[in-house]
Amino acid sequence: MRSSVFTAVALAAMLAPLGAFAAGEPVAGSLPHGGSYTMAPDPTLASAAVDLWFRAPAAGYDNATPGISRLAATAAAAATLESGKSLVSFVRGVGGRLAINVYPDLVDVSASVPASAARRVVAAMSAAYFAPALDDDSLKIARTDVAVLSAQEHYSPDDLLHDALFAQIFSSGPAHFAPIPGDLGDLKGITLAQINAFAKRAFRSANATFALAGNVDPSLLAAVTAGTPGTPDAPIVSATAPAPADRTLTAAVTGEGLAWTGPPIADERAATALDFVADYLFRDQTGVVSKALDPTGDAYVNGQFITLHDPGVMLVTIGGSKPALVETQVLAAVSGLQQPLDAASFAAAREAFLYHLAADSQSPTEQADNLGWYSSEGNGAYAPSDAQSTYWKAARSLDPQYVASVVKKYLAHPVVVRLITATSKEPTS
Amino acid sequence: MKLRIAAIAAFLLIAAVPSLAQAAGAVPVVTRSGGVTLITQQDAAAPLLHVVYVVRAGLNRQSLAQNGLAALTAQTIIATPVNGVALDDAIAAAGGSISFTVDPNDVRFEIEALPEDAGKVLALARSGLSAPAFSAATVRAARGKLIARIAENQQVALQVGLDMLSSTVATSANAGLPQFGLPAALEQLGPDDVKAFYATYYLRGGSYVSAAGRIDALPAGTLATFGETLPDGNTTAINVKLPKLTGSSRQLVAERDISAPWLIAQYPAPLVGSKDFGPMLVLASFMQRTLADMADVPGVVSETYASRAVGAVYQYENAQPDLVLYVNGGIGNPNRSFSTALSIASILATTKLEGSIDDFKAMASGDFISSTNSLEERAWLAVVYDENGQQPDYLTRTLDAISQTSAADLQRVAREYLSNPTIALVLPREDS
Repeated sequence: MRSSVFTAVALAAMLAPLGAFAAGEPVAGSLPHGGSYTMAPDPTLASAAVDLWFRAPAAGYDNATPGISRLAATAAAAATLESGKSLVSFVRGVGGRLAINVYPDLVDVSASVPASAARRVVAAMSAAYFAPALDDDSLKIARTDVAVLSAQEHYSPDDLLHDALFAQIFSSGPAHFAPIPGDLGDLKGITLAQINAFAKRAFRSANATFALAGNVDPSLLAAVTAGTPGTPDAPIVSATAPAPADRTLTAAVTGEGLAWTGPPIADERAATALDFVADYLFRDQTGVVSKALDPTGDAYVNGQFITLHDPGVMLVTIGGSKPALVETQVLAAVSGLQQPLDAASFAAAREAFLYHLAADSQSPTEQADNLGWYSSEGNGAYAPSDAQSTYWKAARSLDPQYVASVVKKYLAHPVVVRLITATSKEPTS
Repeated sequence: MKLRIAAIAAFLLIAAVPSLAQAAGAVPVVTRSGGVTLITQQDAAAPLLHVVYVVRAGLNRQSLAQNGLAALTAQTIIATPVNGVALDDAIAAAGGSISFTVDPNDVRFEIEALPEDAGKVLALARSGLSAPAFSAATVRAARGKLIARIAENQQVALQVGLDMLSSTVATSANAGLPQFGLPAALEQLGPDDVKAFYATYYLRGGSYVSAAGRIDALPAGTLATFGETLPDGNTTAINVKLPKLTGSSRQLVAERDISAPWLIAQYPAPLVGSKDFGPMLVLASFMQRTLADMADVPGVVSETYASRAVGAVYQYENAQPDLVLYVNGGIGNPNRSFSTALSIASILATTKLEGSIDDFKAMASGDFISSTNSLEERAWLAVVYDENGQQPDYLTRTLDAISQTSAADLQRVAREYLSNPTIALVLPREDS
């Protein structure tokens, strides 16, 4: 009976969409065996992005095993499938690339492949995650992988600052923990049984969202043969600290980071306003603060509003030999936006912002990432990669007074984290 | 009943696997008129319109003493005041962007816009291109921007090495000069030089307008009109011959403010459309995989710093194509990785290959396909193919060329091209 149902579902999934979607318009629906999908087809491209997203706490369901999500996601990609190949080997074998992105509350398994291989990749990816068969060999690969990534992060100020700022802002819950633990001792105690239990719960089909972009169509999803219908987990939230404190950490690299808690994803206009602020001030090459930096020096600044279920976070990281000087520039620029921009400057900045939105979601990988993230955070209709989404309506509705009011409300007092090296007593100013 | 199941299965398979023609999308459309080649690739799903405008005003139009003049002229154009601000700022405020690249033969302007703003943005670009401001203030501002870009490039060791190597393969000495010139040379160039260069070389003959994305957002005829921005006429390159260096060393060395040495090897490579094009793409994939496998921790799933610190790039879009192998010394023992890479390149030419090359063909196809995801790359590739006398359906042709490559082809190409590399070493300054 199940087989018959599957055939009917598969045929329906293939036949119905042929006239049901137009190029460029995202479509969404349910997977054959639980879970959901969202996609942005572009039949003129030769490539496809196949992303599989899960809501999953990076430190485990009891927040006691930091790194378990990364270990489980990597082990599933490295485990041997019925075909005799692992998912990662299979994707590489068809000329594609596989990336595993683990966030405090989400897991994203992302493949960029030739479109002709998309169907087989959907089948392999769903088999690898919806029916995970993890063993000691795949766990060993995952441990090595995480160890390498952890070692790399010790030399990445942006990653260190991101994790440290989240640890200050969120007092508990997954966002309090780094998705890749800095201390590998945290990983050693995690057993195969724990990882299997985590994978079976987190990676069940009902908790999944396939995000597809490029030369794709809904018929590809007939290739999903594993899974069990059910209910997805709700978006994961972490508790915020009532009065987060500044912190100075000793690290292998120097840097400085600032963070402010922002609106939830449900407050679309306010979240979009903070995206606008990040673009206007901090975008590489064009941001007001970025352009004010000495081009011959080593200073750099990155700023973004991270849209999360509740709350979002505005995060700015600063590098170079004089971080305190740049911090002053950042704070002055943010403070300045509490006053509305003049109409002409604002109109120009908003038009540039809209263009940047489109420019940043050109490739199938960028689009799938965007669709998957916003769906998993609980508001797929708000994904900015879709020019018809509520995001674009909110962006077009922004005005100088509203942006200034959002800046006043959310960007008053940042949490500051400073990284210093063992040889320096305090950051250079 | 069995027949029925088989029929359904066949239907599933046929409907699900995109054919090569589907995957390739629409074939670019080429029209030529009055010295201008117009190439269009409509994509209704794209979020933007991208236009590449190629003018025969590249490095080989400047003399050795005018090092940087081609870039200074292009930068002056996008610094030209429009509505009280520089052209690039005016275009940004209108929902788009404009930038440029100086190639050995051409300067290419990249113009991009939201569909609803595309007409306005192209009109702005046209106004700057047709009537640049040659005032001292505009040229000074342009010079300042260029000098800042040069400073940025000097911090990128791979770019420094590639610039050095490109000068060794240029067919004319001026075509091998740095893209943006040198600060000292730029300081000697003023408004009159820019004005004269523009008047001499910004002519319509041999130009390209290549558009990809939401062309449907433009009123009919807009792109053809854009192609008529510059006056009629053709230009010729300045041929600057320098005596060949007679030294036996094939090593170039530079010191920069970087933390670790970079080692870069350059081999000559075939032109797009040559019978060796497909095999060289596969060979580049083979070298890339080999280098990454040597550098990386065995068996890891994620892409790591180590795997990104080494690479092989077939620069087929260059006027003088090459294959470049590079190793970033920050990964540990660069000499070992580099010498092993050179040995493999050498051995490939002389030892019979065992086993299948299918994985490398798949990798070459996948890499090429993913390089065609951006509108900029799609618009530019169509120009590169057309300039090389090929039909501009670059995707189908390239995938066919890769598909038809045999192990014997791979070895033949290795033998022909991978014998005698030129080496560039970019080293940290002794006092840094």
